[in-house]
Amino acid sequence: MSPVVRLIAKRLGISLIVLIGVSMLIFTIARVIPGDPARIALGPNATAEQVAALRERLHLNESLPVQYGYFIADLAQGDLGISLYTNRPVTRDIAQFLPATLELILVAGTMMILIGLPLGVISARYRDTWIDGTVRVVSLLGVSAPSFVWAVILMLLFAFFLPIFPIAGRMADSFTVPTVTGFLLIDTLVAGNTRAFGSAAWHIVLPAFALALSGIGQAARLTRANMVETYDKPFIEMARSYGFPERRIANRYAFRPSMIPSLTIIGLDFAAMLGNAFLVEAVFAWPGLSRYGVAVILRKDLNAIVGTVLVISAMFLIVNIIVDLLIAFINPRIRLSQRTA
Amino acid sequence: MKRYKLPIAAALLAATALTGTTAAAQSVLRLDEVAVGELDPGKASDYADSILMFNVYDTLVLPVQGGPGYAPHLAESWEADGTDFVFKLREDVTFQSGNPLTAEDVVFSFDRMKALGQGLSFIFTNVESAEAVDEHTVRFNLNEAYSPFIASLVRLPIVDKKLVMENLGEGDGEMRDWGQAYLSANSAGTGAYKVVSHNPQQETVMEKNGDYFLGIADVAPDQVRLRYGLEAATVRTLIAQGEHDISSQWLPPEVLKSLAADGAQLLTETGGGAFYIKMNTQKPPLDDVNCRLALAKAYDYAAGITMVAITDDVAQGSASTGAVPVGMFGANPADQTLSRDLEAAKQHLAECKYDPADFTLEISWIGEVPLEERYALLMQANFSELGIKSEIRKVPWALFTEQVTKPENTPNISQVFVNAVTGDPDTLLYPMYHSSAAGTWQSPEYLNDEQVDAALEKGRMVTEPDERAAAYSELNQRLMEIAPTIYAYDRQSIFAASNRVKAPALSDPDEAFGLDGMGFSFRLMEMTGE
Repeated sequence: MSPVVRLIAKRLGISLIVLIGVSMLIFTIARVIPGDPARIALGPNATAEQVAALRERLHLNESLPVQYGYFIADLAQGDLGISLYTNRPVTRDIAQFLPATLELILVAGTMMILIGLPLGVISARYRDTWIDGTVRVVSLLGVSAPSFVWAVILMLLFAFFLPIFPIAGRMADSFTVPTVTGFLLIDTLVAGNTRAFGSAAWHIVLPAFALALSGIGQAARLTRANMVETYDKPFIEMARSYGFPERRIANRYAFRPSMIPSLTIIGLDFAAMLGNAFLVEAVFAWPGLSRYGVAVILRKDLNAIVGTVLVISAMFLIVNIIVDLLIAFINPRIRLSQRTA
Repeated sequence: MKRYKLPIAAALLAATALTGTTAAAQSVLRLDEVAVGELDPGKASDYADSILMFNVYDTLVLPVQGGPGYAPHLAESWEADGTDFVFKLREDVTFQSGNPLTAEDVVFSFDRMKALGQGLSFIFTNVESAEAVDEHTVRFNLNEAYSPFIASLVRLPIVDKKLVMENLGEGDGEMRDWGQAYLSANSAGTGAYKVVSHNPQQETVMEKNGDYFLGIADVAPDQVRLRYGLEAATVRTLIAQGEHDISSQWLPPEVLKSLAADGAQLLTETGGGAFYIKMNTQKPPLDDVNCRLALAKAYDYAAGITMVAITDDVAQGSASTGAVPVGMFGANPADQTLSRDLEAAKQHLAECKYDPADFTLEISWIGEVPLEERYALLMQANFSELGIKSEIRKVPWALFTEQVTKPENTPNISQVFVNAVTGDPDTLLYPMYHSSAAGTWQSPEYLNDEQVDAALEKGRMVTEPDERAAAYSELNQRLMEIAPTIYAYDRQSIFAASNRVKAPALSDPDEAFGLDGMGFSFRLMEMTGE
């Protein structure tokens, strides 16, 4: 078995155990927080008889282990139950809302990498100059304020005072495209509708940038710090003594080893965005899974809470595996240690 | 520098163009609501559901616009004989599917609502059965005389039986899922608007039903987009951008004020509801009527109204005259408003068996309704003038509904907004004050008063309007005497709207329905094209 396959198998095995643990934990937590889910689902006007009937149907009168048994039995058939928030199967809700969030965080993540890493490299390369100072101030600002604050500021600047960007939804109302992947940036291209693609791209700019800003700041600061440290290493001194140009030293010798800690943090940020996207989704009326997750928690929608948390956990684990693989690919020491192991 | 200006201007122009515009030929009305809209009419209960239901489905009767009573709608006429109600249906009505409306559809709609047991089905508890007498005649049999029955029919939307039966989902028995899966995503009504698409977290898109039996004016919106869960800041910006037409009623007063200052019109709807400050009558010190009366007299009613004022003329509440909101059977005249009387409050407190030095009142507010915190602070300040100490506690809604199931866990003071779901005082007052209904979010008073029970039961039994008015007037009087509640203000919903839309049912009292959500009958709105 190749080291990479072994690494993936090991990670998948651990992830499965983590997922089972998460499912038990969230299943229990969701049921012990105050409030009767049946009462909340049926609304304030429902009678005691209606509430009792729904409790019976949801097995809420059974013990926790028995309820968990029902849940696992249904899950084995791919059934996460019915959401009391939308009155639809939870799997259908997740299938509808997850692509919107994934598309948002993929674009935000891309911004984080394409803007954050170069800013860090530039800052380190021009250390202690005005360029470095500017990047450090900007990145500190990005890290200091949470995404939803940026969301409101960006909305005020680029939608209210200067009405350039749209602020609600994923695409202008006038366009409709058939759903293929759920990612509008892809589905519009599949449909060959470039105007719809332009609209979808324009709609995602502000929410993705608001979501990415703190990650951009963090990536820039971390990359700068690591590169500054790497610049002091003997191999950089040796490269300089050979007379290599500064650009080559920065890009080839200093950046690559500095990228490993940045990549780990970016990976974590990427996964964390799944949960953190909620407020940005709320401000920009983005119909994603994070917003759905918070709505179902507030309504104590048991099936939907468990389903959403499981999906977000799974995404978190997948991103971590990908980051581990990337780091192994970049860092020969890790790759070789897997081989010898 | 000059050479950069042209490309920048071009980029900005292109950017603006990319935001997309809707086709000019079609008038589009865009509005929002906070919660997910439940499309299944058998489960409809809250405001968003009601807006959908009243537009996609029709009912046998409708509230009379600008006045009391109910007028025929899908029903042509009806006859009542004690516990029997026989309705003659119109023969010119077809569903959006093209199927004709028959008595079987009415029976099916009723049976379905009872079988699902969700939404507002509880208001049909007194109805034993429905049966089709012939193709266009339907009979309802009641268990006992129940005069608000006609009013409750505004909450029985008629569903296309044939279409639903063709689309039954998985489930047990002959009726399987009663079409729940289908009706949660599709429309099966006779209504003026049909559903084009429905995403429960984003929006429901509706378009005119060209075959509507009453016809729809050309000026009514061709398409309606009901968006869900928009943030106040987003709505504020969208209306300023001209991309939104009517806000939800849940915007904070400050945002409504700012929109009004920018020229937005303020639409209003009064649906027979009020803001009630409820006192637990089973727990000391508020088990003593004089203590309760002291608090009711010490509360500053005028300051309470100011707190929800949008402009000098418009507020989210109007002065209360008693337990029954103005406009309903039994309400006191509108000019007999309640006001603060600190001297009377002191006298009542002196007659109370509890010494203010010996207790601390627990004033709760619902965590999801930040406005209530302001009222908790107002009460704390008002009651401190009587020497009464109090502590304010924030309670999440879920916890509150659980707390109120036991009198000992119910706070001394709770705050709730309650509405009559059918527009009839019975659906407002019975669940709040009848002794058999104690222990719900509507009845944290745990009131147990024979006179109140008798008046509530009489209001249900008598059929003549004058007799009903007398019964509820008597009830109102008694509720003022024993003060289980501080009747803070009669509730009024306020919506900010652009000038592109006219909504007579939400702006002209003579056109108003007096039922929450019905003012949003899109067929009665006009798009001005501004």
